[in-house]
Amino acid sequence: MAEEQKQEQAAAPASAPRAEGGGQREGGQGGHGGPRREGGPRREGGREGGPGGPGGPRRGKRQYFRKKKVCKFCVEKMDLIDYKRADILSQFVQERGKILPRRMTGVCARHQRWLGVAIKRARNIALLPFAGSAAGATAPKAVEAHKG
Amino acid sequence: MEERLYDLIFIARPATPEDEIKKVIHSIEHACSEKGGKIEKSEHWGTRKLAYRVAKHREGMYYYHQIRTTHGELIHELERRLHVQDAVIKYMTIRLDEDLKRQKKLGDKREKRAARRPRRPAATPAAPAPEQQTAAS
Repeated sequence: MAEEQKQEQAAAPASAPRAEGGGQREGGQGGHGGPRREGGPRREGGREGGPGGPGGPRRGKRQYFRKKKVCKFCVEKMDLIDYKRADILSQFVQERGKILPRRMTGVCARHQRWLGVAIKRARNIALLPFAGSAAGATAPKAVEAHKG
Repeated sequence: MEERLYDLIFIARPATPEDEIKKVIHSIEHACSEKGGKIEKSEHWGTRKLAYRVAKHREGMYYYHQIRTTHGELIHELERRLHVQDAVIKYMTIRLDEDLKRQKKLGDKREKRAARRPRRPAATPAAPAPEQQTAAS
């Protein structure tokens, strides 16, 4: 919400908001990421409002406004997802070790791809669980030596 | 052959005496120097909880090395050596240079784009910026 308001305020000089949007998209390097993410809630809204028709989407969007999820890795401009950072990776798996889908985390397609690889590597060296071992209580710690 | 960068991680049993670990590390170094590899980084992450049981252990000591080499056989040799060691319960080698290359490429791209960006926003305030940019470059 806050973002939208900001954009509205900035709307006075006509081209400003568009430039902002452009900046975001560049930061996110996913020209595809933006619109598709918006698509998610819209579709859901339509479903809840009944399988009505093509008129639905707009209303749906207004009714079921959801905070737009942004790819964490895009925001931080990470070009490499390190499999050694179990503390980061563990944010994107369920307690039992399943990889969370993109629609839950808002990660863009490209980063989700890398993330999957990184998680699988981390699993291989016992930094993350494969499955089971409800050791969710013992959340993986950061590799201290690696932070610096 | 071109140079490649590898990560080598191995997990030792939690209660391994230090000289035994030293022996393992020494054998790694030895193999590297023999086959023309270079150890770029070597770290000890300490004892960490394993995400699952490995050889009936719930904890393990993590050792991390980064190796640059032009000979792929070195990796085979290292893996063979680690496999034989009793103190080592798990090991993994991963090729890194491709990922790093991609990272660099994307970083360069982003920088280029960032340099170009000042031109885009509304005409008047941004106008002086690109001139500076061109002057700088």
